Amino acid sequence: MSDQLILAIDTSCDETSVAVTRGARFLSNVVASQTQLHKQYGGVFPTVAKLAHRQNIEPTIEAALRKAEVTWKKIQVVAVTQGPGLAPALEVGITKAKELAERYGLPLIPINHIEGHVLSPLALPASSTKLALESAAIRNVLSLVISGKQSEFFLMTEVGHYHHLGGTIDDAAGEALDKVGRMLDLGYPAGPIIEEFGRLGNDRAFEFPLPMTTSGNYNLSFSGLKTFARNKIEALGAEKTLTKTQIYDFSASFQKAIFRSICYKLNKIVQKTEITEVWLGGGVAANMKLRSMLRITLKPYGLKLRVPYSKKLCGDNAAMIGVVAGVQTIQPKSDLEREPRLKLV
Amino acid sequence: MKIIDLAKLSAEIVAQQAATALKAGQLVIFPTETTYGAGVDATNPEAVKKLLAYKARREGKPLSIAVTDIAMAEKYVEINDSARRSYQRFLPGPVTVISRGKGVVAPGVESEFGTLGIRIPAYPLVLEIVKVLGQPITSTSANGSGEKRPYSISDIFDNLSGKQKSLIDLVLDAGTLPQNPPSTVIDTTLSTPVTLRAGEIKLETENAKLITLTSTSEQETKDIAKRLLLKNWDNLKNHGLVIGLDGALGSGKTIFTKGVAEFLQIQDIITSPTYIYLEEYGFERHEVTGHLYHLDVWKIETEADFHQLEIQTLFGKKTVIVIEWFNQIKPWIIPMIENSQVPLLQVVFSDKVPGRELQIAQPKS
Repeated sequence: MSDQLILAIDTSCDETSVAVTRGARFLSNVVASQTQLHKQYGGVFPTVAKLAHRQNIEPTIEAALRKAEVTWKKIQVVAVTQGPGLAPALEVGITKAKELAERYGLPLIPINHIEGHVLSPLALPASSTKLALESAAIRNVLSLVISGKQSEFFLMTEVGHYHHLGGTIDDAAGEALDKVGRMLDLGYPAGPIIEEFGRLGNDRAFEFPLPMTTSGNYNLSFSGLKTFARNKIEALGAEKTLTKTQIYDFSASFQKAIFRSICYKLNKIVQKTEITEVWLGGGVAANMKLRSMLRITLKPYGLKLRVPYSKKLCGDNAAMIGVVAGVQTIQPKSDLEREPRLKLV
Repeated sequence: MKIIDLAKLSAEIVAQQAATALKAGQLVIFPTETTYGAGVDATNPEAVKKLLAYKARREGKPLSIAVTDIAMAEKYVEINDSARRSYQRFLPGPVTVISRGKGVVAPGVESEFGTLGIRIPAYPLVLEIVKVLGQPITSTSANGSGEKRPYSISDIFDNLSGKQKSLIDLVLDAGTLPQNPPSTVIDTTLSTPVTLRAGEIKLETENAKLITLTSTSEQETKDIAKRLLLKNWDNLKNHGLVIGLDGALGSGKTIFTKGVAEFLQIQDIITSPTYIYLEEYGFERHEVTGHLYHLDVWKIETEADFHQLEIQTLFGKKTVIVIEWFNQIKPWIIPMIENSQVPLLQVVFSDKVPGRELQIAQPKS
């Protein structure tokens, strides 16, 4: 745990994000695809335009400093996502971080983006009076990272020490939700709309299989569910266009099928593994239905689910990168290279 | 500022008065089935400027417009099939459908990317106002940016600066509205198809040998991939290989890639690269070491975005580049492939009962 003021940068994929953090607290967390740059875009930022890190990085850094009400004189450390991610996207953040670390004579710390999601439930608002959870209290935590890119189970024996228990062997959960949502004409990204419409539908209206029950491991697979959904949608749509009610019901039922599969493996893990808490991170961690299904699964074991305290900390963001640097001691590395295929363990 | 108590006047008179105010470029606060909205004539540049000043820190929130029906919407946006189905299913109702704009509304209403959200509120008064005005009105929520969702006029006024308040010309007060959530926003602008019908994708037939195979299982799809790789092994060693895959969501593109990876004796699990665009794997097979790049260009829509992926830097001998949704980038990548003389293997997956049909264009050796 350090109380140094950190400027953190994440350009792992679509979002350009910069945060100012201290310990587990963040003073600002600017995600350029969202709103703080006062861009006038129509609702959802076109996905592909989000690759434009080069245009976004400077104004995002300025906005992060301004929102945190600090100047470069106060910043003591630069932290940057080294991977995993899209190579040209990572390159933009790393090049900028190197340049800034050199210009201001600051240590440069490489961070693993997935560790950011794992530790995101630790992040605290600037107004918090404590710096972070006592690191000593964090022992044998089961971490779920569920997003458009990842659907993974990690065991964190202590901060910085991880074991991979299992994960998706094909699509990520968020990706399956987005793709099936697209089949239902819910546009892109469709995951959040599946959640909204799912609230209006009957989650028992359509039956889905439970995959990977005989795999004997903690891995997940969603591509079969996706194909099953596609065949079902095509069969339904063959007679006449799906109705509003069918869309609501399908959203509810498919979402439940995806989350049920995660809960099934979670239950298996909890039965066999000594754990003290369960943490949830990643873009799909914002989904209230997922949270509630996980809590129901954990209740018989008396286990608590810890989630990021705001929605913004769920998706890709730099505050979580700063938190990783702030809650442990990581060796600075001035000559770091991008690592698109970096693993957590 | 004038406030009309809706309980005291007929809807017809209110609609007339509101339309007159809007026509004069005024800013009107009106009720909807979600929250109170802030409306100006969306085709009047001065009125839109006024609205943007009122919203102050808009922070990128969309300025959608309210219209009366799909026919009116079509004057302002390009409605694709997917969007049309959403109109039929959900509108009028608390749903905003985003499409590509036609550049007809005043500057600042469409996004900087030329997209525009359309609402058809399930609130007869608003539809009547738009009908009388004959122009779409903006239907952004009436709160200042970042403030409480406005379900009553006091929700709005309590959080406005004096300057903001002074910009309001007319308020249509319907009392306290039910606390319905804001509208659901469906962005239909991503053009990639969801499904592909047989024959929709043209194979590159020049210098290619065409075959059609059928697969009834994941294992068969993988085996086809392995056989094709074996045939192209010398090619791959000497020149590299680009594999273009097309087919509907869930048709077997990633399974095929898993077969490619198994052939290359890659131990890693091949997961879908949709969100990361590109995954890289090292391989070693019969003492040949090289790389497999697995791309998904589903979300790539423009040539500029395509160039950001820097695919040309990946070409080389002992390098396999598998590209899902190949047709999406075909016009831009074909010249690169031709320039670097890398062989192209193309596979199109289509449905066949039972299983899948794979149309394959192989490089002539």
